[in-house]
Amino acid sequence: MGVDISLAFFVTWLAGSVRLGGPLLLAATGEIYSERSGVVNVGIEGTILLGALASFLASLLTGSPWPGLPAALLAGVLSNLFLAWLYVTVQANQVVVGITFNLLATGLTSYLYRALLGTGAQPSSIAMLPDLNVAALSNLPVLGPILFAQPLMLYVTLAIVAGASWLLFHRRFGLNLRAVGENPKAAAAAGISVVRMRYVGVMASGAGAGLAGAYLMLCQIGLFRDTIVSGHGFIALAIVIVGRWRPWPAAVAAFAFGAADALPISLQMLNLPVPPQVFLALPYVLTVLAMSGLFGRVAQPAALMARYERE
Amino acid sequence: MIRLERRLAPASSPRAVFLANAAAIFLALLAGGLLFLPFHVSPFTAYADLIGEAFFTPRGLGYTITEAAPLILVGLGTVFAWRSGFAYLGFQGSLLVGAVVSTWLALQVGAALPFALFLPLALAISFAAGGAWSGLVGFARARLGGTEVLVSLMMNYVAALLVQYLVTGPMRAAGDLPQTALLPRSTWLPVIFEGTRANIGIFVALAAAVVVGLILRGSVVGYELIVTGLSPRAARFGGIDVARRTLLSSVVCGGLGALAGPVEVLGNQHRLLDGVGEGLGFVGIVAALLGKLTVTGTVIASVLYGGLTVGGNAMQRHSGLPSSVILVIEALIVLLVLASDLLLVWRIAPARARTA
Repeated sequence: MGVDISLAFFVTWLAGSVRLGGPLLLAATGEIYSERSGVVNVGIEGTILLGALASFLASLLTGSPWPGLPAALLAGVLSNLFLAWLYVTVQANQVVVGITFNLLATGLTSYLYRALLGTGAQPSSIAMLPDLNVAALSNLPVLGPILFAQPLMLYVTLAIVAGASWLLFHRRFGLNLRAVGENPKAAAAAGISVVRMRYVGVMASGAGAGLAGAYLMLCQIGLFRDTIVSGHGFIALAIVIVGRWRPWPAAVAAFAFGAADALPISLQMLNLPVPPQVFLALPYVLTVLAMSGLFGRVAQPAALMARYERE
Repeated sequence: MIRLERRLAPASSPRAVFLANAAAIFLALLAGGLLFLPFHVSPFTAYADLIGEAFFTPRGLGYTITEAAPLILVGLGTVFAWRSGFAYLGFQGSLLVGAVVSTWLALQVGAALPFALFLPLALAISFAAGGAWSGLVGFARARLGGTEVLVSLMMNYVAALLVQYLVTGPMRAAGDLPQTALLPRSTWLPVIFEGTRANIGIFVALAAAVVVGLILRGSVVGYELIVTGLSPRAARFGGIDVARRTLLSSVVCGGLGALAGPVEVLGNQHRLLDGVGEGLGFVGIVAALLGKLTVTGTVIASVLYGGLTVGGNAMQRHSGLPSSVILVIEALIVLLVLASDLLLVWRIAPARARTA
């Protein structure tokens, strides 16, 4: 009996870790492009929210979940074009721009939702994206629910991670992007456009964050509320740091944070006499500990957040 | 034809800076005004109503003052932290910690103590608790080499969950809603003008503004903090203990932000509930940014933003326009004011005739 409960507990927990880690990983992978080019994009928190609303509205209007993906992608890239302009062209303080943009996104999504659906509207439910459904794999004991009974988006995300790893470390584009983040003056002297690379980096992080919003919306939540992101964009920023600005290590970190996120849901099965808020605080406390410096400092891209003056 | 031309040196005259900022604010109001149109509200009358309601009616002005007080306190914390190079973003958490301890004090001893004794005590323990809360972040930065941006952001969520736990658990009063009992009337901040909501919270905020201004402008510690913020390297060469100054800055900034907790709870809500002071911690930061991280600028910007919130709520009641429009306008103003620096660096010049 006890063995059954603990096995069921671990299977649901690990399956939940992979499920909740997916959107975090997608946002973190996008952010790696931005930070490798020298820009910390704190605005991904708000971008995820914009992507979630865009995919919600697209799915609601068309009755199909698929248009939600391009809608979220477009919302992410366009909003981050504005952010890139502020980071790169205006050269404003990146943290200031990021948190103010998050406030803007909170206000804008809340306004749009109420403007389009009415203030007293019942939360409408939408068509969701399917899970991978290969019965032979999903029905495997233990491994089935953890690795295979997952949303299609998870496998898309893993493909994006593989693509990012290849682009950043095996193509000239990645070399140029990283050069701009390490030593913009030298990169410029070698004929690389620092400004263009940073715009590309920030907009790539917008694409990742927008799609992460769609992932959250179309695979997990299905309802729009102002609080659906609640700090997970910031957690994705921490994942980038823990993953040392590399996609695959970031994937490991993302599933670890997903595990912290999934624990409260699985623990409900055990009926522990502990207030739920203790477990709900877990991903945030984990991030605090990871970023507190207790576990040593890490070498970040050398020109991260530094102003760049064209000669 | 016209073209953009880089100025030899950025324009820095007060007039140029004022004009660039005014253009940015105008553009932000214009863009925000577009959001009024789907509700068949003309932006011009809407802005006139909004400002009229918030600043030119006694009732509205009372609300504006009530809204501005916590924003000023959070804004002052921002000025203190950011000027000394500590990018603290955890004011929402500090505010909640201050709200929790002052609620606890009011429920425990509020009815027994005279107000003249209770208020200083409530402010002192809020400052101490909020300062300890943010001091943890300062400790991580100064002694462990952590990053204060993400740590302080995450602690906001921890504080929100702490409040949620307290009002659903140990501090919950009997009844349907997760909230504490109403605080004893003797602990409420007294109203300044009968018939309005304006309470003495604004005096707490203004007194704090004077103290912060004096410390930053007229004391050795303030000088050392600002040098630390401008260049930690230069400060170290000048014999300033940078780590200790960062620690001090972190404690004081969170303490200031935490004062917004009792001001909001004792002056406005009169009880602790889930979501108390929602958003104040960030709007206060943004107000300080609009005030260019100066004490006077922060006070003015906080009153302005407090008024926008009040006017926005009134507009939602009158025309159904979601009050979240105000958040969009407030954020857009700051972003475009930042961008208006471009106007100081570049100028529009008529194209010169080409010479062969």
